[in-house]
Amino acid sequence: MTQFASASKDRGIWRGIVLALFLTFMIVPFLATVLFSISVRWDRTIFPEGLTLEWWERVTSRSAFETTLTNSLIVSLVTMFALALLVTPTAYWAHLRVPRGKPFIEFLTIIPFGIPGVVLALALIRFYSDVPLPLINTPNILVAACMVIALPFMYRPVANALDAVDIHTLTEAAQSLGAGWRQTLWRVILPNIMPGVIGGCLLVFSTVFAEFTLTNLLVGARFKTFPIYLVEFTRFDGRQASALAVISFVVAWLTSLLIIWIAGRGGRPAEALGAR
Amino acid sequence: MTRGERNARQSKAWLVWLGLLPFFLFGLAFEIIPVLTLVRSSFTDKGALTLNHFERALTPLFIESFRNSIQLSAATAFLGVVFGTLVAHAIVTTRNRFVREAITALADVTTNFGGAPLAFAFIVVLGSTGVVTLILKMVGLNLYPTTFRVYSIQGLTVAYLYFQLPLMILLIIPSLLGLRREWREAAINLGASSFQYWLRVALPFLAPSLLGGFLLLFANAFGAYATAWTLTGPDVNLVTVQIAALVRGEVQLDPALADALAMLSLLVMTICVAGYQWLGGRARKGAR
Repeated sequence: MTQFASASKDRGIWRGIVLALFLTFMIVPFLATVLFSISVRWDRTIFPEGLTLEWWERVTSRSAFETTLTNSLIVSLVTMFALALLVTPTAYWAHLRVPRGKPFIEFLTIIPFGIPGVVLALALIRFYSDVPLPLINTPNILVAACMVIALPFMYRPVANALDAVDIHTLTEAAQSLGAGWRQTLWRVILPNIMPGVIGGCLLVFSTVFAEFTLTNLLVGARFKTFPIYLVEFTRFDGRQASALAVISFVVAWLTSLLIIWIAGRGGRPAEALGAR
Repeated sequence: MTRGERNARQSKAWLVWLGLLPFFLFGLAFEIIPVLTLVRSSFTDKGALTLNHFERALTPLFIESFRNSIQLSAATAFLGVVFGTLVAHAIVTTRNRFVREAITALADVTTNFGGAPLAFAFIVVLGSTGVVTLILKMVGLNLYPTTFRVYSIQGLTVAYLYFQLPLMILLIIPSLLGLRREWREAAINLGASSFQYWLRVALPFLAPSLLGGFLLLFANAFGAYATAWTLTGPDVNLVTVQIAALVRGEVQLDPALADALAMLSLLVMTICVAGYQWLGGRARKGAR
């Protein structure tokens, strides 16, 4: 018995060490970046040589700061709404009337996991440079590409939400009361699957807001987004770059916390593979 | 039912697919057709079938890029699986509910994080004048210039673990929760040691999830570009870095060569993601 107790105590210590190491590894890079962005100088001593807001003031007062932040917001929001509009009715219709279509939809939502960002960019450039549409070298192609990589993040939560409610009964009830398809979807189904739709939207937003690869290769300097601006700064002024990095961290973490808060406890399956 | 009615029914059954048309058109236009264009152009030269582009892709430079990418992906996937499972085990067995939920949330938050800000954070921590570098120097451990460089494959390995670990933790937690307490008790009662229980009972049960996790983490690292580009620029020779350079026309304007490299990397990715899907199905069946 005493042996048993001491063994479980040992395991408690072991568990504490593992969790503490993990926490340190995950938190220190973020905290160090925050501290670096408000340090006068922090490259010769263990502690910063004084604190200042100078780098924050400098970097946020540039006109490019506002432009790139706005551009990122535009791309993220447009992608988010376009995907919500495309995916929600499709998923609802497939769940309700075309269950045999679901494997095809799911196939299309798995493909993005198997295509590296650089390969997607290459494929789109190779195909659309010969197509006479206002796509290549414009933000339009960027939105389309972002929709592809964010597709799984939108579809999964919406499909899970649809699985969780009895859409057949709801639809029949709505239609027997005289509601048309649009009314049924908008006034009856949507409120019932709202947590899934919002969760998907937020995941799409945070993925696209941090997107660098596709932006860099598809539009480059023509349409600079926030991550592009950040990478430019890392090359010539680390301290101002650190302020931009902190903003990126905070946007990503806040959206994720919002997602967790909306999803409530019970957790969603891992939906990762975002902006690498 | 008359023949007319049946026909009308069938045509109606066919019509419901029209509701999915916008989605399928989107998938065709921006996933299937562009990728098939790559496939076709990588295997043809002026309309004739050829493996010429793949032969040209087998230069020492590109072979090295594949070796580096595969090594980096395998190393970060392996470390991610081992340490991720260890942390996940600590999470699911802790009795402190707050710790459990807070750390799961942390994994949730950080797994979608990567790219430029992550790379920059690791420069601040482990760069040549980074804070951890300075602390280690104080205790007599000089990372630079020979032991460790953050602007290299070593640095990328550490930085990639920042998103690999949380991903593995989230993937493996459901499987760890599927390990029944009674199995352990039964094994111990039958005279097994804790080590034997893990080797003979827990590990076989977890094997599909662990292997699936490895494949997904491998694909996750293999396709990554933004983190590598920010941290190391063109210095580290990875497949994604090479393809991006060809896309930007930095090296030379040879689209078919880029297509061939892209095809090879798609092959690696497809094996990983398909394997993950297959194992995922098995793991779910096993957990039931």
